Amino acid sequence: MSADALAAPRPRRPRARVLVRVAPGLLLTLLALAGPLLAPHPLDRPVTAPYADPGGPAPLGGDQLGRDVLSRMLYGGSELIGGALLVALLVTAVATVLGCFAVLRPTLGRLLERGADLAILLPPVLGMMLLALAWPGGGRLAVIVAAVALGIPYAVRVVASAAAPVAACGFIEAATASGERLWYLALREILPNLRATVLALFGLRFVAAVYVISMAGFLQLGPQPPEADWALMIRENAAGALLNPWVVLVPGAAIGLLAVSVNLAADALAPTAGRTAVTAR
Amino acid sequence: MSEAETARAEAATDEVAASAPRRAVSLAARIAVVLAKRAVLLSVLLAVVFAAIELLPGDAASAAAERGESPADTAARRHLLGLDRPLWERFGDWMTALPTGDLGTSARGERVTDLLSAPLPNTLLLGGAAFALTLASALALGCWAAARPGGPADRLIGLASTVTLALPEFVVSVGLLLLLSLWTGWLPAATMTTSDGSPASWTMLIMPVLALAVPQTGWNARIVRGALADQAAAPHVIAAHLDGLPPRRVLLRHALPGAWPAIATGAATSTGMLLGGAVVVETLFNYPGLGTVLAGSVADRDTPVIAGVVACTGAVISLVLLGADLVRARTLGARP
Repeated sequence: MSADALAAPRPRRPRARVLVRVAPGLLLTLLALAGPLLAPHPLDRPVTAPYADPGGPAPLGGDQLGRDVLSRMLYGGSELIGGALLVALLVTAVATVLGCFAVLRPTLGRLLERGADLAILLPPVLGMMLLALAWPGGGRLAVIVAAVALGIPYAVRVVASAAAPVAACGFIEAATASGERLWYLALREILPNLRATVLALFGLRFVAAVYVISMAGFLQLGPQPPEADWALMIRENAAGALLNPWVVLVPGAAIGLLAVSVNLAADALAPTAGRTAVTAR
Repeated sequence: MSEAETARAEAATDEVAASAPRRAVSLAARIAVVLAKRAVLLSVLLAVVFAAIELLPGDAASAAAERGESPADTAARRHLLGLDRPLWERFGDWMTALPTGDLGTSARGERVTDLLSAPLPNTLLLGGAAFALTLASALALGCWAAARPGGPADRLIGLASTVTLALPEFVVSVGLLLLLSLWTGWLPAATMTTSDGSPASWTMLIMPVLALAVPQTGWNARIVRGALADQAAAPHVIAAHLDGLPPRRVLLRHALPGAWPAIATGAATSTGMLLGGAVVVETLFNYPGLGTVLAGSVADRDTPVIAGVVACTGAVISLVLLGADLVRARTLGARP
């Protein structure tokens, strides 16, 4: 703990509140990542009757092939969350670099602005269908590539709008006048002043990535049937929801909880001043 | 907008004060510029989609091929469909036919206009109803929260909108299905269609509309609340408050008008999410809309059908964005 936090008790309360809001997302992520280690059954072996009631070998009942819902649940989350984390990291990193360059080179900035205008006209689900099917064997990787490509235009806009006032500061002008190169200006002079924006952007991109990747799973664009993806479980088992409601209720609740808790965490991490700019989708 | 355009627009605003006919002309010019910009953006998007489909492995001729067909047969069909012509030539033909309402012919030889004529109105009905519900409930919730800043209602609405805005539509759908259909039996779980391809009963629209509207309401309620909070700090709103006007009147007559541009932009960005979400929700509820057409045509590499769907959704989104532009122009024009 830093000295100023000890000296002044006031900043502690918001920090505790941030922790309370970040904890559920963190806990759920860790649980889902550790899930495969806790599963009592392998993900693809039938252990009970199709759509069996909870009980016996399957605490949450069976799915359409009689496989254990609980085990499939525990297997299904890690790749969704891992994929979403990867997408959020890539989008944030690329957008941060592009955004910093965009404010220093107006031509590039205008080009990226037009790209974002264009991306608004293509709903993410349509774009994802196009890109994921462009690469039939791509599976989860194709979805990740699509999610990164679709996420970048908005993210660049957010970084560029936060970087614009920084780029107009005197120390940037001084550095430009002393002949510093473009990459040095972008990464060493501008970027360190955007930490709060970049952190908030990462959180929001994680939320968006959970949305896009689970949507792709539901449309059967990414992971293919033997896999135990939460969104895919809902799609596969929707017909048997009346026989064993748990088989769609539990993965649905898991995705819902993940989306909500990650969003609460991103919201708590966002700087209050930059919030309106950062939430722009 | 380029600098020259901005300068021209500013010059036009100065002249607005001069005379009424001039004002009408400058408004028309402004609308024409905005329309042209949207049209250019839409055609660039369509060109990108055409090129993207062209880059996919396989084309419509091989996707429609039957088992045991010789390469010569596939080549013959490729020629029949005109796929051996250069991409730009096909794109040019398609774009020039577009203004006449002709969306081309699908790989199976059907007219794309016929293919989309039944599902498109269904999807627009679904999306439109969800849009109306979203806007109404977001405005009501946002104003309610803004009327008592920091109060329990404000905090509750803030939390509820943060929670709902991140939910994928299909998760909301599953919850609604279990709650309203499987456990209570109040609403039908799947959509039946009449002979002309429209939903048989309006009750079949309730759950898809709710599933689309709930996340977008969360998103828009936050924007309404934020825009009203920004307006509450504006001098004329503070003045109205200090004059002792009732809080309700200050909120609706003084704060809300200035908040319209932000609200309109927020609602416009929801359009794409609503149309995209509709594709997913249609799958779950078996609703006869664009989602079904799209899923089949993407698998078939059917460029004209995909381009037709993207053109339709893009045109709808463009129109809503245009509406948002006009709201912004009007609000800013009224109060310079």
